Parts: sequence; C-alpha cells; structure tokens
Amino acid sequence: MNLLHPPRLDALARDYALGTMTGGARRRFEQLLRHSRAAEMAVLAWQERLATLAAPVLPLTPRDQVWAGLEQRLFPAVAATPSRLSWWRTLLSGRSVGGVLAGVLLAAVVLREQPGWIGLEPVQESLPASYVGLLHDRGGKPTLLASSRRHGRALTVKMLQPLAVPSGSVAVLWALPKEGGAPFAVGAVPANGSATLALPDSAEKLFFGVSRLGVSLEPGPGSARPSGEFVLSGDCVKLW
Amino acid sequence: MNEPQPELAHLLGRVALHDPAAFRSLYQRTSAHLLGLAMGIVGRRDRAEDVLQEAFMNVWYGAAGYRADVASPMTWLINIVRNKAIDKLRVGKAERAATVALDDEAMTLPDAPERQPQALIDESLKRARIHTCMADLGAAQRQAIALAYYQGLVHTEIAEALGAPLGTVKAWVRRGLDRLKRCLEQAGLSTA
Repeated sequence: MNLLHPPRLDALARDYALGTMTGGARRRFEQLLRHSRAAEMAVLAWQERLATLAAPVLPLTPRDQVWAGLEQRLFPAVAATPSRLSWWRTLLSGRSVGGVLAGVLLAAVVLREQPGWIGLEPVQESLPASYVGLLHDRGGKPTLLASSRRHGRALTVKMLQPLAVPSGSVAVLWALPKEGGAPFAVGAVPANGSATLALPDSAEKLFFGVSRLGVSLEPGPGSARPSGEFVLSGDCVKLW
Repeated sequence: MNEPQPELAHLLGRVALHDPAAFRSLYQRTSAHLLGLAMGIVGRRDRAEDVLQEAFMNVWYGAAGYRADVASPMTWLINIVRNKAIDKLRVGKAERAATVALDDEAMTLPDAPERQPQALIDESLKRARIHTCMADLGAAQRQAIALAYYQGLVHTEIAEALGAPLGTVKAWVRRGLDRLKRCLEQAGLSTA
C-alpha cells in the first residue's frame, strides 16, 4: 500500500491533523512525516484549514505561575532572585571574560562596589593600590576572589561558589612566585563565605613577585608545600 | 487571534535566535488563545496549563524549524498545542482505563453555551464567511467535526456521544472536512 499516493495521503493527513488518527497508526504516520516532504505539506495544508475553526475559542489567561515556570526552566539565571552579587556572577559565567585583564577589571568593579570587603572605608574616588586574584576551578568557573591593599597586612578571600573540601582536609591558598620560585602558603580558605587572612608582612612585600595563586587540599594547615594538584588557580595581579 | 500575523512571524524569527524578550512578547500575545484551545481538549485548567508550558518549551527550542512560507505563525503554534493536548488527553485516558472503569469525564461537555463545540464551529464558519457554503452539512455532521477538533475525541467517542453508528460518524467527519476544504478553496478564489 503506497501511503504517498496523493488521495490516500490527503485522507491520512486530514485524520492526523484533526486528531482522530490514534495509537500505532498515529506513530507510524509521524515517522512518515519526518521523511516525506509530501506528507508534511499535506498535513500543513490541513492544519491551516482547521485553524479556521480555532478563531472563536474563548481565550483563557494563564496564571502567572505558567510563565514563571517557563522562565525558571529556560532562563534560570534571570529567574533566580537577584542577590547583590548575581549581576557579576552572570557576567562571570559567560566565559566571554577570561584572563588577567578581565579579572582585573572585574576585581576593580567589585572593589568599587564592595569596598568593605577589603576594609576600604571611606569610599575613595580612585581605586586603591591592591593585589587581587581571581581563581577558577578545573571547570573554569570563577570560585575564589582574593584581594589585599598594597600596604595592608590582611588578605580578604571571598568564595564565589562553594568549594568541596573533604572532611579532614584543609583548603590552603598558595602564592606562586614568577620564574618558578617555591610556592608559599598564605593561609586556609573557607569552603564558602568569606574570610580575612592575616599576612606576615605587607601585601606589597609578599606579592610583588607573585604571578599566580592556587588552592590545594592539605591534610592540615602546616604543609610546607602543596601536596597535590591545585583545585583552584588563577592569576595574581597588581592594581594601582 | 486578532494579532497581526507578520508581527508574530517576526517574533518567532527572534525566538529562533533565542531572544528572551521576543519569547515573552510572543507568549503574552498568544498564550490566552492557546490555553483556551488546550482547555477544550484536556478539560482541566491545571492540565491545560501544563500543556501550554510544554508547548512553549517546544516553541523556544523549535522556533528555528518554523517556516513562514508554509504555515502562518498561529497555525504553527496551534498545531504544537493541539498535539500536546491530544497526547495528554489520551495518556490520561489510558491511565484511568487501567486503574478504574472509564468514567464519563471525557464525554462531559463544558457548560458555558459559548464554549459548546456546536456553537464554536458555527461561529468559526461565519467568521471565515463559509457558513453558506457549509450550510447543507447537517447539524450532527458539524457536531462530529466539532467534537474531534475542540475536544480531541476519536471516532468511537464521537459515535458514543452522538448515539450514532461508528461507520456513519467516520463518514460524517470525512465528508464534512472535505467539504470544508472545498469551501475554503472557493472562498479563497472568490476573494482573490
């Protein structure tokens, strides 16, 4: 039986478009539709004719939750309740920014918006001379923002997303000097939230020769050098 | 349904490029009409809204497949919604049939007279200016088409609802739709 014989195809398309074709026949016809342009055109023609019948159907306004559900499923970033950080989190997730320059610009914006993070009161018109680092996880997601005033003796760490730290381990932030010098530990960082790490000397002295920062998981806070691979890493740059 | 179609086609084009604002605008302009259609078929607001949401998910991901040269935007949208509604109606019926005896829910006609299938089909034929051409179709024939289109009923259900033999109902639907096709073609020619 040739389903594509025009009068037969027209009859099948009519029953399919109306909806009276059911079960296995409907599924088989849908299969045919995927491969046959003639079948598709026949169905489209019937759908256009039947749409005439739809005109007087009384409209019924959907409840707000229908749109809210769509938004949540299709645009979760927009639908999420905006937190104070969400705008730049969105910016960060866009992968369009990357590298040192973006990190610096971002940190500059963040510092301007949130001076309290690094103890900058009152708000200054120009950005303070600082060291900042933006660390990504292995998937490339920005995870940790570190900043310190150039002559300060404290480093503020802000987790942008929670870090999985196995129980019994400590996440340690390391500074990696240029030209392959030995990394030195800066301090332990929290799994989430923020922390202020006391520095043994001014940031300028400690970070002047540092190009990168990394976080490794250590059995305790006293490790002399990173015992495994970095779970987070990123550039450390000077801002002034 | 009074939306200018070119505007809807433009919005669909923007949705194909994943423009959320265009998607929202398309939803605002068409969702009430589409929900009305889904409601007629699935008969309950919550189910109809589920259908609408699923349909608009398809619109977002499938808008690139819309071809303005072969279908009007509204027809394309109606098609997605009706297919989803019919699937939901039939899955629901199969589930009810498997658990309890099939109740009369599917046969119940909505109460409001303007929602009655017969009233809807007569009104739609008038609006399309083909009611004269369709006039020699009996009331039962129009009712058979209306039950299939607005409520998603299949031939056996229509036969039961109208108390007519199955073969008769099939012939009513077939001849009625073929008549609709001829009348629309004639109307198209006369206005051309």
